[in-house]
Amino acid sequence: MRILIVEDDADTNRFVARGLTELGHQIVASSDGRDGLFQATEGGFDALVVDRMLPGLDGLSLVRALRATGDTTPVLMLTAIDGIADRVEGLEGGADDYLVKPFAFSELAARVMALGRRPVTSVQPARLTVGDIVVDLDRRTVTRAGCRVALQPREFVLLVELMRNPGRVMTRTMLLERVWDFDFDPKTNIVETHLSRLRSKLNAGFDTDPIETVRGAGYMIRGE
Amino acid sequence: MKRWWRGTFGLVALVALGFALATLAIGVVAFETTHEALEQQLDHRIAAETQALIDEGDDGPTGIAMAIRRREAARSTASLAYRLVDAAGRQVAGRLDARVPTKPGYVELLPYTSDGERRIAQSLSTILPSGHRLLVAADRAVIDEMDRTLLRLFAESFGAMLLLGIAAAWIVGAVTRARLARIDRTALAIIDGDLARRVPVTGSGDEFDGVATTLNRMLDRIGGLVDNLRQVSSDVAHDLRTPLTRLHNRLDEALASDDRAIQLVAIEAAAVEARDLLEVFAALLRIAEVEGMSARAHFTDVALSVLVADLAEVYRPAMEVGGHRLAIVIAPGINIQGDRRLLQRLLSNLLDNAIAHTPTGTKVTVTLERTATSVRLSVADDGPGVSPGAAATLFQRFSRGDISRSTSGHGLGLAMVSAIVLAHGGSVAVQPPPGFAIAVDLAGK
Repeated sequence: MRILIVEDDADTNRFVARGLTELGHQIVASSDGRDGLFQATEGGFDALVVDRMLPGLDGLSLVRALRATGDTTPVLMLTAIDGIADRVEGLEGGADDYLVKPFAFSELAARVMALGRRPVTSVQPARLTVGDIVVDLDRRTVTRAGCRVALQPREFVLLVELMRNPGRVMTRTMLLERVWDFDFDPKTNIVETHLSRLRSKLNAGFDTDPIETVRGAGYMIRGE
Repeated sequence: MKRWWRGTFGLVALVALGFALATLAIGVVAFETTHEALEQQLDHRIAAETQALIDEGDDGPTGIAMAIRRREAARSTASLAYRLVDAAGRQVAGRLDARVPTKPGYVELLPYTSDGERRIAQSLSTILPSGHRLLVAADRAVIDEMDRTLLRLFAESFGAMLLLGIAAAWIVGAVTRARLARIDRTALAIIDGDLARRVPVTGSGDEFDGVATTLNRMLDRIGGLVDNLRQVSSDVAHDLRTPLTRLHNRLDEALASDDRAIQLVAIEAAAVEARDLLEVFAALLRIAEVEGMSARAHFTDVALSVLVADLAEVYRPAMEVGGHRLAIVIAPGINIQGDRRLLQRLLSNLLDNAIAHTPTGTKVTVTLERTATSVRLSVADDGPGVSPGAAATLFQRFSRGDISRSTSGHGLGLAMVSAIVLAHGGSVAVQPPPGFAIAVDLAGK
């Protein structure tokens, strides 16, 4: 992936750029809002990582300006402020995802990955298929190798979230946000328990587990 | 000294001056009235005497002259003086040594001579049918005497008022300054760092005591906040020193070892410590943010019954895995004004606590009900509970109900709960044993 990083803090910029380069991405780094917007409008990026506070032009204005030109390149916004208002404002301003500093690199990498391959069209497919698992989103049914699997509503949403991103790690935080709508990390392992129930229902009668636990990072459903 | 009249002394002095001037004005009016009344009285006397003379003399100048001589012979103390002249102005009777006016009527200031002394009299001259002119006069000495007495009286009272006023101004100013100086000294002492100093209260219940009491209450409140802040800062420093030391030791361990495997284990442990520390800071900042009440701007209509039911169900699997039993009693259709995510977090923290601090087999009950005045959300368990002493400090940062402090958590969960409840204008309290229960009262719709 070709990724543009717009971040004025030199340490964070270097840390993110090096990490993403090691994962095999092409990185263009900028430390100024105006330059960042200029580079972003030239196009050709699969994802942007934009800090909220920037010299020249702040991150929010950058994203707004970019969206005004009809550019839909996914944007992950970084911020040092963990305010409710900032999160809402950021997402309404056109950012696709939001990450509060300080963050673990694995979290950032997982989010950038999830952004980069998001389908361009906003039209949701009626069914998702990964391996032998098929999810019918309209009828809210799940089958594995043709056998019906009965899931609780929350387990269903969890499976759908994983299946929308086959082969990519979904972190615990991402799942909490997207499946449970939590903007915080509860002390109780609700993700783990729900996932273990989902697993046991999905794997009943099969000897392979399609959901992989990536240690220290999150969960991933194996693609083909 | 600019605007001296704004000070207490100036104000009281101005009021005193006002009173003195009012006294002066009253004096002037009283003087004028008295003076006029005396003159009128004199006029009446003269007129009555003139009439009496004319009556006695049967309108004849000779009769009048005789009457005049009779009166002068009697030498009445109410010494009126008389003079009768004929049409040509020749003296007929009376000892009054004054020129008789040619026109009839009153003359207020008639100069005359008595025993060689020039004096002033008030007079009435009458022209008789015979052409004779009768002059009756009364000396004005009585009026002048009265005038002098009145003037002296009023001047004295004006002077007394002025003196008393200045004295009152000085005393009131001095007393006010003295009372204010006590407040001032207290404020200066507090500025210099003596935060325990309070404004002295005399117990007289006057305005100064009222202000002093209010100021002391304000100082108590500020003192409480400062103490709280100091406590929090010291707690933060104290509670973070341990994990920071552990982090430091892990990294030292990694540096000291040549074994790559040991290094990796130590660095991983250090990373975990660092992540924990970041979590603590994030939680502290979040609590501070919620305490700042900036959340109120985002309040919306929240279907609390649905939120509580959903969240309890989210926790059910984790509870069952941990061997806890979950009971849910929710009154339907309860809505409140609030921040959905914060309310979610509130209940989540309460449930986290119930799971983390109770043994296997404990029954946890989530209740949402309407009370007479509010909406009550409570999370109760039939576990061992906490000691009453611990219950009191449970909502403070870094407080842990467990004496051993062995269980996980940073002691920030309930501080967060408390901050969220306060941001929603509600109240939170630990319920009495058996077991352990926290009840949150929120304003319903």
